[in-house]
Amino acid sequence: MKRLRNPWGRPRFLVLVTGAYILWSLIPVALAVLFAFNDGRSRTTWQGFSTRWFTGETGSVLHDPALQGALRHTLFLGVVCVLVATPIGVALALGLQRWRGPGGGTINTVMLLPLVTPEIVMGVALLLLFLQVLPGIGLGSSAQAIGQVTFTISYVVVIVRGRLVSIGRDYEEAAADLGAPPHDQLIRVLLPLLAPAIIASAAVVFAISLDDFVVTQYLSGDASTTTVSMLLYSSARAAPTPALNALATIALLITLATLGLAYLVYRRFASGSDANAMAGLEV
Amino acid sequence: MQGEIRLEELTKRFGEVVAVDGIDLQMPGGEFFTMVGPSGCGKTTTLRMIAGFERPTSGRIVLDDVDVGQVPPHRRSVNTVFQSYALFPHLDVAGNVGFGLKYKRLTKEEQRRKVGEALSLVRLGDLAKRKPGQLSGGQQQRVALARALVLTPRVLLLDEPLGALDARLRKDLQVELKALQAELGITFVFVTHDQEEALTMSDRVAVMSGGRVEQAGTPREIYEEPATLFVADFLGVSNLIGARASADGETCVLRVGERTLLAAAGATDARGEVKAMIRPERIAVEPQGALGDNRVPGMVERAVYIGSAHELHVRLVGGDLLRATIRNDGSALAYEEGTPVTLYLPPDALRVLKP
Repeated sequence: MKRLRNPWGRPRFLVLVTGAYILWSLIPVALAVLFAFNDGRSRTTWQGFSTRWFTGETGSVLHDPALQGALRHTLFLGVVCVLVATPIGVALALGLQRWRGPGGGTINTVMLLPLVTPEIVMGVALLLLFLQVLPGIGLGSSAQAIGQVTFTISYVVVIVRGRLVSIGRDYEEAAADLGAPPHDQLIRVLLPLLAPAIIASAAVVFAISLDDFVVTQYLSGDASTTTVSMLLYSSARAAPTPALNALATIALLITLATLGLAYLVYRRFASGSDANAMAGLEV
Repeated sequence: MQGEIRLEELTKRFGEVVAVDGIDLQMPGGEFFTMVGPSGCGKTTTLRMIAGFERPTSGRIVLDDVDVGQVPPHRRSVNTVFQSYALFPHLDVAGNVGFGLKYKRLTKEEQRRKVGEALSLVRLGDLAKRKPGQLSGGQQQRVALARALVLTPRVLLLDEPLGALDARLRKDLQVELKALQAELGITFVFVTHDQEEALTMSDRVAVMSGGRVEQAGTPREIYEEPATLFVADFLGVSNLIGARASADGETCVLRVGERTLLAAAGATDARGEVKAMIRPERIAVEPQGALGDNRVPGMVERAVYIGSAHELHVRLVGGDLLRATIRNDGSALAYEEGTPVTLYLPPDALRVLKP
């Protein structure tokens, strides 16, 4: 007879698989970060701890114009993308939520397309657009910003709509009932309730912009429009030094800090209203 | 009296679905008016049309002789207490209650005073700085009430405001709400699916079903003199007996199986197949063999102890099951399960309903 397992015991096999997966996904990142602090030119042999690739005299992120320029351009694109994509995305989410007429379903699907379209397709399409249809803008910063905004808007729409659905129509109706005209319903009630989702989506947009490679690469112009991800890609084959690891580490930290901050703000705002509003963060 | 509402041929369609089907209702000013019915009967949709959240497909909503059917909600002098309360989670209690005062052309000082008054009216003065999330269900309900009443509406709409509260608190708030309404003299339009709530709180009740008004009247009228089978069945427990009605001079004679019963209430002019109804508390349970008119023999099938009363389920010879309640006076129940008994159905309690 088969021995009966204790059903209240820990599921050991699942714990093992989970632990192995976490290790497997973190080790490469940890190694890359570790070698950013290597006191030598090697990215594979440990030669002691140092911060020379961050702040050293030569070849460090702080003093190499190419690395520094890439970092600055990346952050610039990120900020522009947040400032443009977030308001448009929020407006679209509000509009789509209210859309009761025919064609609503179609527009919904269209909004989600950028999330499932292979980025390479999007990149090529945008490249053709800027070369053939809108040559006036030309390749470079503007094209990169427009390109990133194009597909990050979808994330804003998805996150903000998730929150809108969980908020429901009651609060708006209550505001109207108490005498607030439509404009006040939006400003005094809806936007404060949406604030966590708006902040979260801004953070997600920033993080995606920072990490984006394909679209940003396609729409880049001269050397001044090189981003961190592009630089990492192109010099990985040429003459890699731990300075690249240092650059990647900085990008990683900024991304993590952004998402962490957004999470904290979101929690603070969302507490007291409803717990399932957190669903908006799980993209 | 201010705050009178008249619904005329009011209809609301959602696509193919008719939610409210051409209803006519009079809600006199200053009264506690209740719309009661099962879910999907159109009561909430009617309330939402009065509030202005839904636009009538056709018909009129007349508030103090003005048709407000096409007026947007923020310009109607009616306020709502929502089923979910819909308190703004980002504002504290005072902020919630003061929300609508901003549109009333008052100084800051007057606004503060009115908020204070409204909060003391619902006995929440010391919680003004709390956020809604820190309040209990009953307290949230009071804030919702204060937020609506502070604007001194002509009509207050309440959409199942007690639905989310536990039974004990519900009872307390029923009494409190009714007292508040009597004190303020504002028209209350109350929506509930709870028939007991409807009977105990209201001056007037409309029983709704399938988007139509089955019957409207005082609680006593609709309970004692239900006009339709639905009303009889929906309000409280009622016993329905299938019978054949015929005339014997002025009185109505019902044939139930082998027996004949006199019925003096309801549609006594009906003839042919009818339903007769009688409330459990109007049936007198007597020992087997008791003699006289309007008595039927039966057998106690179940005796249920419900605290304030005993409920007997008595199976009649013809097969119908009647429930009779006997007030609990402290003595032991004389009729156990399986005991043959005689039921006396007084003619004035036996009501003939048209099918």
